[in-house]
Amino acid sequence: MNLLRIELHKILPYRTVWVILAIYVALMLLILFASSNVSINGQELGSQMYNLPQFWQTLTYIASFFNLLFGILMIVLVSDEYSFRTLRQQVIDGLSRMDLVLAKFYVALGLGVLATIFVLVLGLYFGLVHGQNHASDAIFGKIDHLSYYFLQAVGYMSLAMLFGFIIRKSGLAIIAFIAYAQVVEPLIHFRLPDNLDKYMPIKVLKTLTPMPAQDVLDQMTTPTELLSLPWAAVLAAGYIALFWAMSFYTLKLRDL
Amino acid sequence: MFISSNLSLKGVSVILEIDKLSKRYGSIQAVDRLSLQIEEGSIYGLLGPNGSGKTTTLGMVLDVIRPSSGSFSWFGQPVSRSTKHRLGALLETPNFYPYLTAQRNLEITADIKGADKKQIAHVLHTVGLSHRTHTTFKGFSLGMKQRLALAAALLNNPEVLVLDEPTNGLDPEGIAEVRELILRIAAEGKTIILASHLLDEVEKVCTHVAVLQKGVLRAEGPVSTILSAKDQLIISAENTVRLLEVLKQLPFVESYQPERDLVHLTLQEGYGAAEVNKAMFEAGVVLQQLTLRRKSLEAQFLEIIKQQA
Repeated sequence: MNLLRIELHKILPYRTVWVILAIYVALMLLILFASSNVSINGQELGSQMYNLPQFWQTLTYIASFFNLLFGILMIVLVSDEYSFRTLRQQVIDGLSRMDLVLAKFYVALGLGVLATIFVLVLGLYFGLVHGQNHASDAIFGKIDHLSYYFLQAVGYMSLAMLFGFIIRKSGLAIIAFIAYAQVVEPLIHFRLPDNLDKYMPIKVLKTLTPMPAQDVLDQMTTPTELLSLPWAAVLAAGYIALFWAMSFYTLKLRDL
Repeated sequence: MFISSNLSLKGVSVILEIDKLSKRYGSIQAVDRLSLQIEEGSIYGLLGPNGSGKTTTLGMVLDVIRPSSGSFSWFGQPVSRSTKHRLGALLETPNFYPYLTAQRNLEITADIKGADKKQIAHVLHTVGLSHRTHTTFKGFSLGMKQRLALAAALLNNPEVLVLDEPTNGLDPEGIAEVRELILRIAAEGKTIILASHLLDEVEKVCTHVAVLQKGVLRAEGPVSTILSAKDQLIISAENTVRLLEVLKQLPFVESYQPERDLVHLTLQEGYGAAEVNKAMFEAGVVLQQLTLRRKSLEAQFLEIIKQQA
């Protein structure tokens, strides 16, 4: 807990953190308000879209677009410690390398909790105010999507943390992280058969927030083979542990 | 369980023991089988030109640089959180969060070291930064940054201070203040390990010195024996031949070297210009010139390096 307190001392007065979080909040609100006005076949999507429990899936799918933003925030926090040489100072003053990695992992968990609570609040607000179904089984019916979203956010941040610890320079690490998540792995997916690529980290993380109209899409094209949600969750937890262990060994084998 | 292996034969505690410590960066041997023992209460200087391995050595014993081989122990124990909490150290540069104030930066340090936050005002006062408590670190001058690093090192009232070029970037007044501060802290019985490329600094502040060159230990011991070379006299007389004859017979002249019409001489300890003048006068030689020249520290340093090479 002391580690988390130390991290909070660093993060709370840091403007960059607030700016990135504000961008996330603003964009989420913008998308939700704007999409209610989208009409398909002359029918407004809005009222339908906000209907719980289906809304939880839609909402977490939209929120998943911004995992890259949290990843970038994580990279900034890790690479700062290198450029300020504060990793070095903290080890001199008494922390171990394990403490350094744990502290950042706590930050990822904390940000994940924040993002999940924000999505929960959004879901309740739009679902209850604009949606039509207010029964409790509707509200809590698919609320487990929130926990999958939490796992996904922490997963992206853990991967970003690993890039930060390995590459050290923020610009380069951000580029490498986005390139891996958006370009390199998708290219590999093209080459590999579905039954293999469904186990790759980004694919696993993406599986956690399934696209709302996936079943419709699957009817029109060849269905993509994906892991079931619980299996994807188990695998994602495994990847998080792996990224965390790799970050630790990166620090352990290096001079600070 | 706790057999104090950090007691030397004389009964003085050994603070830091380094045993054949080496660090290699590719083809460069930064530190080469360095062995040292630093005793409690000493002000130990690590002296050497830039690139001689001082910072690398301190980085290894401070747990931020991985040694290629060799070992070290603090207070007779391997490095750990508890040994680290007994030290205060600044390595190479002052390392702080630029967007945080002096106070908030030190709060983080205090949290890590397990120090009482009430000490912050006190250490800021000690280094003369009280009026800057609420200024962000990025607005500090290099000298102020260095002082803040000293303040951070002093938190938790450590038994040992490890200071890497602590006067770097300070103006002459600041340098004098930091040196005075070091002596004041040492007077409280603390051990200080100081790396410096300034001979003058080591001579003024330290009790012991280790001279490093290209990662190799060239000389080690009390400052008085390593750095005190005897002074030189320069004399001349009208009759240089006669002068040299007399010099040959004087028992307290250790060596002499004629150079054109001047003669450079080194005397044994306890003798000075007066004895030379008196002996010459008694022998009927009148000196035209008698100058005392202190050997420069730089010359001594080069001598140490040459002797051992």
